[in-house]
Amino acid sequence: MSLLAVNGVSKAFGSLQVLRDVSLEVQPGQRHVIIGPNGAGKTTVFKCITGLLPADSGSIAIDGTDVTGMPAHSRVSLGLACTFQKTNLFSELTVEENLHLAVTARKPYRFRIWKPLSWYEDLQRDTRELLQEWDLWSRRRHRVDELSYGEQRILEIVLALASKPRILLLDEPTSGMSPAETARTTSLIQEMPRSVALLVIEHDMDVVFSIADYITVLHHGEVFLSGPPEEVRGDERVREIYFGGGARPHA
Amino acid sequence: MIGRLSGRRVPWPGVAVLTLLVLLLPLVLPPFGVGIATEVFIMAIFAMSLGLILGYAGLVSLGHAAFFGAGAYTVALLGQYVFNTYLLLLSATAVAALLAAISGALFFRSTGAYFLMLTLAFSQVLFAVAFQAEPITGGDDGMSVVAVPDLGFGEIVGELGLYYMMGFAFLGCYLLLRLFVASPAGKVVKGIMENELRMRALGYNTFSYKLFVYTLAGAMAGFAGALYAYFNFYVTPDLLGWVLSGQALIMVIIGGVGTLLGPALGAAFFIVVQNYASFYTEYWALVLGLIFIIFVLLGRGGLMHLLRAVWNRTLPSRFREREDEMEPEEPAAEHQKERTP
Amino acid sequence: MDISFLVVQILTGLAYGMLLFMISVGLSVIFGLMGIVNLAHGVFFVVGAYLALSVLDMGANFLVALGVAMLAMALLGVMIERFLLFRSYGNELNQVLLTFGLAFVLADVIKMIWGARLQSLPTPAVLDFSVTLAGITFPTYRLAVVLVGCIVAVVLWYLETRTRTGAIIRAGVDDREMVSALGINITLVFAGVFAFGAALAGMGGVLGGPILGMYPDMGFDILVLSLIVVVLGGLGTWKGAFVGGILVGMVQIFGQAYFPSLSLVIVFLLMAVVLLIRPSGLFGRSHAT
Repeated sequence: MSLLAVNGVSKAFGSLQVLRDVSLEVQPGQRHVIIGPNGAGKTTVFKCITGLLPADSGSIAIDGTDVTGMPAHSRVSLGLACTFQKTNLFSELTVEENLHLAVTARKPYRFRIWKPLSWYEDLQRDTRELLQEWDLWSRRRHRVDELSYGEQRILEIVLALASKPRILLLDEPTSGMSPAETARTTSLIQEMPRSVALLVIEHDMDVVFSIADYITVLHHGEVFLSGPPEEVRGDERVREIYFGGGARPHA
Repeated sequence: MIGRLSGRRVPWPGVAVLTLLVLLLPLVLPPFGVGIATEVFIMAIFAMSLGLILGYAGLVSLGHAAFFGAGAYTVALLGQYVFNTYLLLLSATAVAALLAAISGALFFRSTGAYFLMLTLAFSQVLFAVAFQAEPITGGDDGMSVVAVPDLGFGEIVGELGLYYMMGFAFLGCYLLLRLFVASPAGKVVKGIMENELRMRALGYNTFSYKLFVYTLAGAMAGFAGALYAYFNFYVTPDLLGWVLSGQALIMVIIGGVGTLLGPALGAAFFIVVQNYASFYTEYWALVLGLIFIIFVLLGRGGLMHLLRAVWNRTLPSRFREREDEMEPEEPAAEHQKERTP
Repeated sequence: MDISFLVVQILTGLAYGMLLFMISVGLSVIFGLMGIVNLAHGVFFVVGAYLALSVLDMGANFLVALGVAMLAMALLGVMIERFLLFRSYGNELNQVLLTFGLAFVLADVIKMIWGARLQSLPTPAVLDFSVTLAGITFPTYRLAVVLVGCIVAVVLWYLETRTRTGAIIRAGVDDREMVSALGINITLVFAGVFAFGAALAGMGGVLGGPILGMYPDMGFDILVLSLIVVVLGGLGTWKGAFVGGILVGMVQIFGQAYFPSLSLVIVFLLMAVVLLIRPSGLFGRSHAT
């Protein structure tokens, strides 16, 4: 059974049809990349999957559980996590405090109202492990808005990982990064354990082909093509979408 | 900003200083000052409860007096039949909590100015009910409170007795809030204020947290209202009205949004100025209004922020850590910079 | 039931609605464009009425008094916006403090100058009669207020749809950042809108003077009603203020006539119900993300 199944999802904003009958599947451990020109509806697919936007029609299932009408926070407890295209952090808090909020989300004491949060040993431990693993430990006392852009993007990913997801949605993880930051982020993504399946939106073709083992091409809100990287790379029509007709992929 | 979490300190020194202050204040106050201080404690609880939802949850309400008044009327009405003070205080708190839970659940769909107006409308409906139900509530004239406070060691009738009752109630509420804002749920609430979308994506049911904190604030306001009924021996519909809500909002802003003690300080400032100004001139509102305007023009945040700035400048650094529990550095300036169009 | 009574009630409700519309439209557009909940806006209404009273006492006629009051309110509006409010842009809580303080100050200034008692403006002689038609008596002054209200609505419609300034303001209400991106002189637009809103509030106060009268703290009471109008109709649209004003005016007048003990409750319930169904008011745009 696939870990994530999106089945015939459509979404319109007013008269603008953004998604039309979109279906895709993510298998356990898979690295599934969604590509497509700007305005193809990639981010909207993500929002429908995470539940931050309700889909107009169609269904979404996580590991066989239908989550179509489920609120976003319940989907997280089924093992779904996401990052945002535009950096979306608690910018006035420190890196450590950001992590505390993310880690607490899966702790049984998240509703407690007496003992100070900073007294929970396991919280401190989990936070330290994640920050050390992603090389942000030395920055833990800094406010997020003091971090470099690349570090903020990494923190996006770390926050999502804090919930120990089985499937992680990354929305343009390398957008706006310098070549060096992009290369580093790409290798960090490549090294992520296969216990986490990835669904990634990405524009940078080098990044796409270095992480993907399955690709879905979205165009005008529809699935245009999906298949393994070799197949997509060789497809004339995909080149047409990207390099013909003026719709160029942006870096 | 959510405090320096690595430390494991509880603000005991702060609590000890406050306790001493409550204990010793009557020694230095002029005779009429004790009554004013008693009122300050009650309004401080009220203002702190509004400060909680405003500064820690980002909910701007112009109807918080609904819960204050509900608590006061509960003591006035129920006090005709029940005399146990603990039971009455508990009922008042529970009634206010229930009202807050119901109204919050209905109103959270609206945000910003719309939420503000719904809270205003809610309090005005209660106001109108108290105003119109003359046979029960005495209508516009209000009703007297027959219940006398008795905490198990005799009736509290003297001025000093009331003073200490309210003083310790204030300390209790402060401690409760201090614990809450450092607790997991308190931190989550603050996170929701900073970035609700992200909190949802992280897996938090943001609605239930907001509802909880709103209910907690409502309950505390109701508790303050109940104390006020005991203090004033009399309740009127004005205790539910939007002017009182507006005044509480002012206390919070003047005292310092995003701090716990700030609203209490704001309440003290407001009540002391109001009392003194109305003693010297009938135009006390003018004096208060001018002070508000000057406050904004100075643009230095609330009283608490000012105090903290002075504190940080004068004290050696090893004493500072503890105060870090008390949240943000110059948030007013930060916000201004960020949100200016 | 007496049909004549009913007609007068409707007319009174309409006239009251028009007054609420005049005060609310400024409040609404100021909020929509500048993001300010101007808690001093109710006092503008009252100050306008008192100014007209003084001008009338000097022997001027009603139209002159109206003109002077509107001009003075526009001036006061500009001064408040330029010298005080602009310092609090982007900080809602400071705006609350500032405008609340202004309302306190202005209310006490009124008390100092004109006294605390309830006063009213005389109905202008030209309109101080009733028309009897088919056995129904119409008080002419109320008819005139309704007419003026409709004219204001038409003027606003024209400004909004046919002028460049109107287009800018409409765009600004939809997306505040866009206006600054367009390279428009925001300072001028903001000052203009504030002055216009204050003048309209003053106009409402003067026209309402013969019907409602005035007292120093009236600003607080009328503010609550006009805030309801704004929220009911939706922030930032004159249409919302127009329809909301008429609705609240009618409900208020009929409530007082038929359920005097519930009139307050009904108005607030009306608003609560509308907001529960449409969280952004009748004509408000929902800013869903």
